[in-house]
Amino acid sequence: MSIDIEVLMELYRDMSLVRAFELGLEREFKRGAVPGMLHIGVGQEATQAALAAHLRADDAFFPDHRCHGLNALAEEKHGGEGRRIMAELFGRATGVSGGKGGSLHSANPAVGNFGDNAIEGSFMVTVLGVALAWKMRGEPRVACCVIGDGTVGRGEFHESLNMAKIWQLPVLYACVNNGYAISTPVAASHASGDIVDMARGYGFPCKQVDGNDIEVAYAAVQEAVAHIRAGNGPYFLEFKTWRWQGIFSGEFRPAEEVRYWKEDHDPLKLARQALSARGVTGADLDRVDAEVKADVESWIQFSKDSPMPEAAKAVADVYVGWEVKPR
Amino acid sequence: MTTAEAVRVRTYVQALNEALDLAMTRDPSVFLLGEDIGRMGGDFGVTRGLFDKFGAERVRDTPLSEAAIVGICVGAAMVGMRPVAEIMFADFLGECYDQLVNNAAKMHYMFDGQFKAPLVVRTAAGGGFGGGPHHSQSVEGWFMNVPGLVVVAPATPADAKGLLAASIENDNPVLFLEHKGLYRVKGDVPEGYYTTPLCRAAVRREGRDVTIVTAMKLVHDALAAAEVLAQEGIEAEVIDLRTVRPYDAETLVASVRKTGRAVVATEAPKMGGLAAELSATLSEECFGYLKAPVVRVSGLDTPIPFSVPLEKLILPGKDDILAGVRQTMQ
Repeated sequence: MSIDIEVLMELYRDMSLVRAFELGLEREFKRGAVPGMLHIGVGQEATQAALAAHLRADDAFFPDHRCHGLNALAEEKHGGEGRRIMAELFGRATGVSGGKGGSLHSANPAVGNFGDNAIEGSFMVTVLGVALAWKMRGEPRVACCVIGDGTVGRGEFHESLNMAKIWQLPVLYACVNNGYAISTPVAASHASGDIVDMARGYGFPCKQVDGNDIEVAYAAVQEAVAHIRAGNGPYFLEFKTWRWQGIFSGEFRPAEEVRYWKEDHDPLKLARQALSARGVTGADLDRVDAEVKADVESWIQFSKDSPMPEAAKAVADVYVGWEVKPR
Repeated sequence: MTTAEAVRVRTYVQALNEALDLAMTRDPSVFLLGEDIGRMGGDFGVTRGLFDKFGAERVRDTPLSEAAIVGICVGAAMVGMRPVAEIMFADFLGECYDQLVNNAAKMHYMFDGQFKAPLVVRTAAGGGFGGGPHHSQSVEGWFMNVPGLVVVAPATPADAKGLLAASIENDNPVLFLEHKGLYRVKGDVPEGYYTTPLCRAAVRREGRDVTIVTAMKLVHDALAAAEVLAQEGIEAEVIDLRTVRPYDAETLVASVRKTGRAVVATEAPKMGGLAAELSATLSEECFGYLKAPVVRVSGLDTPIPFSVPLEKLILPGKDDILAGVRQTMQ
């Protein structure tokens, strides 16, 4: 079963946007324009495009560290502004969190973005509360958390899957297994290199898919979301993928592995091949790439032109209803 | 404070139970979760009868997953619920420290006011009954350094009810400390629903000579000490903090400026805790008024042993407060 060519073209555009966003951001980071630390999602575009395609504005997702692209897609699809995700990364007042959250705490509930949490795994139990509230109120929404393979080491992973099962909560677990937690390979940290094997013990539907094949990833999310929305409880998806960014000090992975993922199994190249097999020309796709790149460049410029947060924001919103004294 | 009708005598546990019952009756977004709080009614009986009245959906037994219990509160609060969790012993808060400190307390700030976390985590704190190292601690010090969190610590049944209702109504995350030594204490409790304001201390006894600032069980020890001191002609003012963070500095400072002497009494270890914080503020704000240095009366800097006589050596009580006051009177 293949998906409509219009849908596939849109998914390609979304993936291309994610890549352009991340590469533009990385460039600015290296120039010193973006403060803090940065986790780049290049190589993982297909999972983000697939999730963005099926999550609605009134669902909730908790993005992981490499989900800037998913955050931007949610903005663009649900009436927000992708450039406000970029501005947040620049720490500007126009950012979705007013510059106070940064890469790891960019949220906008109006588009379903409930924010990342820099403590890996922490939101795996928060997502249960969102899902429980919706279930108690009879609202057929999906609460999704995007996690990496490293998060499986946290106790919250197991508390979460267990309770999602016993209470049949509408949770979508999207595990992006890119093979490494910073420098530590999955095989060295987990009982199984296939995360799905560990999830299966909790007794609800679990599936492992190729996270770099957009058609496969799209269909998998579609099936999982339909299952959850119909009131059938949680669903666990493991996306096998690979991140292009090495670690802070550079590339550490075997040359053949790097070559395979970048040359043979790049999600954008795979999508281009699928589209050209269906008659789309390379020129058409290049045009899409150029358009999203121009968008991203305008977002970067918007971010640079945006003001820093006002000083009063430093002490604002510590408590609801009570003020904290400025220095 | 919303006024209520008749006043009856109730235990601290019954007062807490009434607050939960009334809050759940008036607000459908309030629900309870915790270990053995359903049919069993909780380890100390605080939720007794609520399972039968409100059902398993709103009085929810959980697995031994403290991080998830508090995480669920945060998530549910983000989408408009008002969850109230029970963590069986305050010592277990280490298991959900991340959720309270990094998630609940920072939620409103780090997302620029887009989310709120109106949740209450109730827990049984304090020692004095042979509970041993992991069932006896006073943990308020663990949370003093956490902006965004509210820490409430009632000393009387009437306050237990009014402060719990106020905590549930409040839009901030509240850690609600219930001292185990107070659960069976009886006192006048107004009937019906009422709230007691957060962040306001109560002057439990007025006096001109020395101010004793304290909370929870030690409020009662301080009042007993004040009786003894009155026999000696020393009039002690006893202040019950009621909310530990953010605390009512105004009331404390006004009292100490009046009396010129201060004893700060807390059950927790001395170093770096609530007593240290209060003592520092009183020294900063009242230095010119002080006739003697501020004295801290605290637990010793040790874990809490199981042995009852050893525990007695470690936890402060009436006699330690008396000694502290006498030190300031010299």
